[in-house]
Amino acid sequence: MAITAGIDLGTGAVKTVLFRVDGDDVEWLGKRVDRIRNRDPLQLARRAFEELLEAQGMKEDEFDYIATTGDGENVAFSTGHFFSMTTHARGAIYLEPEARSVLDIGALNGKAIKVDERGKVLSYRMTSQCASGSGQFLENIARYLGIAQEEIGPLSKQADDPETVSSICAVLAETDVINMVSRGISAPNILKGIHLSMAGRLAKLLKVIKAGEGVTLMTGGLALDEGLVAALNEALVAQKLKLDAKGHPDSIYAGAIGAAIWGAFRHEKLQQQGGLAKAQQ
Amino acid sequence: MSTADIIKRCEALYEDLHFSAAREWKAADPSRKVIGYMPVYVPEELIHAAGMLPLGIMGGGDQMEVIHGDAYYQSYICRIPRSTIELGIAKRLDFVDGMLFPSICDVIRNLSGMWKLMFPEVYVRYVDVPQNYRDDIGGAFYRQEMQELLEALEELGGRKVSEDDLRASITVYNENRALIRDLYRMRSETPWQVPSAELYLLSRAGLVLPVEEHNAMLRDYLASVVDEERPIKDNCRIVINGSFCEQPPLNLIKSIEMSGCYIVDDDYCLVNRWLKEEVPTDGDPLGNLAYAFLHNSADTAAKYAETEEDVGAQLVEIIKDTKAEGVIFAAPSFCDPALLWRPMLADKISEHNVPYISFKYAENSGQMAPIREQAGTFADSIKLWS
Repeated sequence: MAITAGIDLGTGAVKTVLFRVDGDDVEWLGKRVDRIRNRDPLQLARRAFEELLEAQGMKEDEFDYIATTGDGENVAFSTGHFFSMTTHARGAIYLEPEARSVLDIGALNGKAIKVDERGKVLSYRMTSQCASGSGQFLENIARYLGIAQEEIGPLSKQADDPETVSSICAVLAETDVINMVSRGISAPNILKGIHLSMAGRLAKLLKVIKAGEGVTLMTGGLALDEGLVAALNEALVAQKLKLDAKGHPDSIYAGAIGAAIWGAFRHEKLQQQGGLAKAQQ
Repeated sequence: MSTADIIKRCEALYEDLHFSAAREWKAADPSRKVIGYMPVYVPEELIHAAGMLPLGIMGGGDQMEVIHGDAYYQSYICRIPRSTIELGIAKRLDFVDGMLFPSICDVIRNLSGMWKLMFPEVYVRYVDVPQNYRDDIGGAFYRQEMQELLEALEELGGRKVSEDDLRASITVYNENRALIRDLYRMRSETPWQVPSAELYLLSRAGLVLPVEEHNAMLRDYLASVVDEERPIKDNCRIVINGSFCEQPPLNLIKSIEMSGCYIVDDDYCLVNRWLKEEVPTDGDPLGNLAYAFLHNSADTAAKYAETEEDVGAQLVEIIKDTKAEGVIFAAPSFCDPALLWRPMLADKISEHNVPYISFKYAENSGQMAPIREQAGTFADSIKLWS
C-alpha cells in the first residue's frame, strides 16, 4: 500500500491530487487546481500541497512518494518526476479505462498519445512549436472578443456558418480574427472556426500515431471545452477516423493522477530494491 | 571554501572566454609560456615539466557568436573548429605561445595547418598518437612523438627539462587524476550529492588552472560537498557517450538531469581521465606515459581500436561498474568519429540488453525542449517498464 501525491505544474495552472494505492485498489483522496496568474509556480505548488494536506487532515511524512509532472522537475520536495506524456497516458486510463488514445491539450501545445490498457505510451506526436493548437491561443482570442473562457464552448456550439482561420500560425490566426470582427462575423462563428482549425490539427495527430478505433480521452485544460469536443468529433468523421473523442469531468487532473499512480508503482519497485537511497547506489 | 563558492569560481572560469586566469598566471612572470591544446588528450605533464601552463581550448561554447569562423568551413563541419578560429581571430588567444592539435579527426588535423598559416608566430604541433598497441612499435612511435614535443617546448622555453622534472609533473598529475577519479566515484555512488553540472564545471576548471590549484580545488570540493543536504530523487542512472570533443552547453547537462536521469559516467573533458591508472614515477618517464597510453587509457571513437571486440568493451565495463541502467549517445552534429562509432557501440550494448537513446547537439544548442522530451521519456521507460 502506498500513499502518494501527484503534482502537475502546467503553464497555466498547478493541479494537485492525493491517492492511496493498494494493488488494483486505487482510492482518490483529494484534489485541487490553482491558477498560476503571475505567481511563482514552485511556491504555489508547495502551498497548494500543504493546504490540500491540511484539508484532508494528512501529514507530509505519511507520503510514500510525491511525484511531479509537467514543468515540475524543480519541485524540491518531490520524490521523482515523470514526463507529461507518461502521466497523461496513465491518468487517462484511470479516468476512462476504455480509452486507447489520449489528446492532451494544454496551454502551449497539444499531444496525441496512443496507449495500451496499462497506460503504457505506444507512440505519440506533439503539435509543432506554433501555439495555434493550444489553450493559450484560445484564451487570447476569447479575451479579444470580450468573452469568458467558460462561455467559449456553448457559444461555439451556436455557430451556423463558421469562418475558416489559419490553422498554421497563431499570429496569422489572430489577424484573421481581428479581420472577422471588423467584418461583423458573430462570436459563435469565429469561435467555431477556431475550434475546427484546432480540431483539424489534432485529428491529424491522431492519424499520424495510428490511434485506431475506440475512445479518445481528452485531457488537459481544454478537455472540457464542449465546442472543441464537438469540433473534434466532426474532424474525426471528416478524416474517416473511427474514434469517439470525449472529455471527463476530471480531465484536467489526468497528468497529476498519472503521476500519483506511477509514484505508487515506483514506490513498490523501490521497496523491492531496498528503498530509494539503496536503489540509487 | 564552501561548495557554492567553489562552483561559483568554476562557473566564472567556464564563462570567461578571455581566459583571464591563464593571462594572470602568465603576467605574473614574463618568462612564463602558455600552451593551448584541443580535445581529446595531450600529455600535459610535458608542458608542466617545461614550466608552462597547459590551457584546454574547448571551443567558444554557447556564449560566443561565430562570425569569421564560419568563412573557413563548409556547412557540414562541426562547430568547435569554427569557434576556435573565432577565438584566435578575435585575439582571445593572443597570449598563447603554442597550440597543440591532437589526433581526433581530419577537421582538427587540418586546423593545425590552418593555425600555422594564420598565426605564424605561435608554435603549432599536430600531436599524433599510436595506431598500434605493441610497445616496440606503437609505444616507440609515441615515445618519439613526445620526445619531439618535449624538445620543441625546451626550445620555446629556453631551458632543458630533466627526467626528474618530468617525474615531478607525473606525480602532480597522478594526484589530479586520482582526485578526478574520487569525484567520479562519489557521483556514481551518490549521484544526488554531486550534480553533474557541478562535476562538469569542476572538471572544466582543470583545463584553465595550474594543476596544483586545481588539485586544491578538487580536495576542497570533495571535503565540502559531503556535508551538503541534497534530496535523493527517484531518477534512473545513465551513462553519456560521444561528447569527448565539442562540449555540450551546460544547460544540456542540466536538462538531462532535470529530466529524471542521474548521469553516473560521461566522456566530457576526457583529458583529465584519459590515463586511467597512476603512471609510475620511477624509470623512463616518457616510456611510462607511452605505456599508460597504450595499455591504460580511455576509449573513444577518436582512438584506434585494434579489433572489433575492443569497440565498446570499455563502455560495457563502465555500465557494469556504475550500475547504469541506460546510455544516452549525445554527439556533436557532424562529429564523424562519434557518429560513425555510435551504431557499433549501440550494437555492443544491445547484446547486454542495455537500453539507449541518441541525439545530436552543438556547443551553442539553445533549444532544450526536444532534449528534455527524449531524456524524460527515456527515463520513464527505464523506471516503469525495464
